[in-house]
Amino acid sequence: MTRGLLTTAVGSYPKPEYVLRARARVARGEVSPKEMEELEKRATAHWIRIQEELGMDILVDGEMYRGDMVAYFAENWEGFTTSGLVRSYGNRYYRKPVAVGPVGRSRPTTLEWWRYAQSLTPRPVKGMLTGPYTIVDWSFNEYYPTREAFLMEVARAVHDEAVDLAKAGAEYIQIDEPAISTRPEEMEMAARALAVVTRGLEAFTITHVCYGDFAAVFPQLAALPVDMLDLETANSNYNLLDLIRQHSFGKCLSMGVVDVHHHETESVEQVKEGIRKGLEVLSPERLYIDPDCGLKTRTEEESVAKLRVMVAAVREVKEELGIE
Amino acid sequence: MITTVVGSYPKLSPDAGAPSLRAAISRHDAGRITVEELRRVEDDVTREVIQEQIDAGIDLITDGQIRRDDGQTYFARGIKGFTINGLIRYFDTNTYYRHPIPERRLEWQGAIGVGDLEFAVAHSARPVKGVITGPYTLARLSQMGCYRDLRSLVMDLVPILNREALALQQAGAEVVQFDEPAILQHKDDFDLFAEAVEGVTRGVTARTAVYTYFRDVSGIHSRLFQLPVDIIGLDFVAGPANYDLVRDFPPDKMLGFGIVDARNTCLETVEEIASAIGRVSRVVSPDRLHVNPSCGLDFLPRKSARAKLARLVDGVRRAQEVRS
Ligand SMILES: [Zn+2]
Repeated sequence: MTRGLLTTAVGSYPKPEYVLRARARVARGEVSPKEMEELEKRATAHWIRIQEELGMDILVDGEMYRGDMVAYFAENWEGFTTSGLVRSYGNRYYRKPVAVGPVGRSRPTTLEWWRYAQSLTPRPVKGMLTGPYTIVDWSFNEYYPTREAFLMEVARAVHDEAVDLAKAGAEYIQIDEPAISTRPEEMEMAARALAVVTRGLEAFTITHVCYGDFAAVFPQLAALPVDMLDLETANSNYNLLDLIRQHSFGKCLSMGVVDVHHHETESVEQVKEGIRKGLEVLSPERLYIDPDCGLKTRTEEESVAKLRVMVAAVREVKEELGIE
Repeated sequence: MITTVVGSYPKLSPDAGAPSLRAAISRHDAGRITVEELRRVEDDVTREVIQEQIDAGIDLITDGQIRRDDGQTYFARGIKGFTINGLIRYFDTNTYYRHPIPERRLEWQGAIGVGDLEFAVAHSARPVKGVITGPYTLARLSQMGCYRDLRSLVMDLVPILNREALALQQAGAEVVQFDEPAILQHKDDFDLFAEAVEGVTRGVTARTAVYTYFRDVSGIHSRLFQLPVDIIGLDFVAGPANYDLVRDFPPDKMLGFGIVDARNTCLETVEEIASAIGRVSRVVSPDRLHVNPSCGLDFLPRKSARAKLARLVDGVRRAQEVRS
């Protein structure tokens, strides 16, 4: 029997109310960092258990201890401070990291969290990193003379982090680059930075990209130095699969089958339809199944419902096609 | 030399006791304050940012676009036929706007920004610019909706935005500015763009401006400089190639000289600004310069925007001293 259609998730899950409340209180000094960590561990264990119970194959820690995917690294590294509030859209604001000196790690950033999550389950837990291009693009730069200099320094730090995860036993390492397709003219530089991250890494590497005109840069995306590309395919009605059909594509694909921006849960039939479309272009060994993007903006109920439908659909398709 | 701004200004002040638009919008969304109370906060913040621009020494100000969620929906909501869809990225910035869709053929239904402009004029000791998202850019940043081609969408927006321009002039705008960054992403559309600019400025006797940003104007510069407007705004931060291109700048036009980076907090030195002015002055005489940041300041935290404007004014003063 052929193997394949492994299920996973992109990275983040919604934080339980007790974590959100405590985060606000840590800022006011009413909750100690130690107490905060205990709550984050409890929430991590909760999500590991949910994913196991649902029967997912490759788990994520859910990022209970991270706020923003870029700010998390900047806060834990040297050389960054945080800006005043800037607007993202409408009435949404966030603080942006600011490079003010040479940036880099003084100690591993995500390693202990990965170890903790992996200690809770026999199933593989992905190491989750933010890619250098996205870190640079979503930060202010008051130190480096050029974007490229900033980018390459960040790439070296992400590489060191990836090496630590691989040495600790992480089989899968995902380097999220949602910003990578923002500027076609910088794709080459972004790919070079990602190559610095994955060079010599003994792990299966994944990059998640989202929001962009993928058609314009697909050959470059297909050539990124990772083993698997993770794309949000459901929210574009699986049109991205046409790009794979039209270009030479030698990688594995992690295919989003549930839209993370909608409250409504897809039906099992809808998701099966999507998976079958994926199987028209790639063999089951090369096709992984996940939600379009991180689920942190959905509620726990919505997230679990979407994951449950995803797993059920994969199971039915596997049975129908005799996939192990 | 006239100092000015491109348009937007950060909405949130870090100062204790300053009115908070963010809090007011959340309270309004939660049904805890009325729309009139929200408008009063918008008024307070608008007065505050007008004063900040004047205090920084800016000669020609805007209302800071405090009441605009973004440059697209502000106009689209005021034009009959548009509905507003989900979030989409604004160019290569890490900010988002809501996607307008022309569901029916577009029609003028009344002036859009006149009340806001009148408010600014009444509360400013300095002349005020009226800023309109130009027809080409507004069309490009919308979905096609019921329109079969871009040209018909652009050309339907032209008379509507022309009426808006005439209304802003009537309301006391010193300059009526059309923001057209999208043409730099689609330079092949220049003929359509030129036709739109001609139409949208028809009958406007106030001084008119077309502002571009985020890239250089290579490939279209000579035609751009011939457009029937008084001021052409270029971004010399994202597009340093513009220094060479303005060698052909016509003697009867003013140059909007965008030199302070409105997308990065790194503060330029007075010398850098003065020497940039010195450099451009070799081909465009200083009395024909409108010196301004590279684009709207809403990408920065408020403190940084304030510092950038103060620095811009210092740089202009230094350049004047050097010359005299
Ligand atoms: Zn994503």
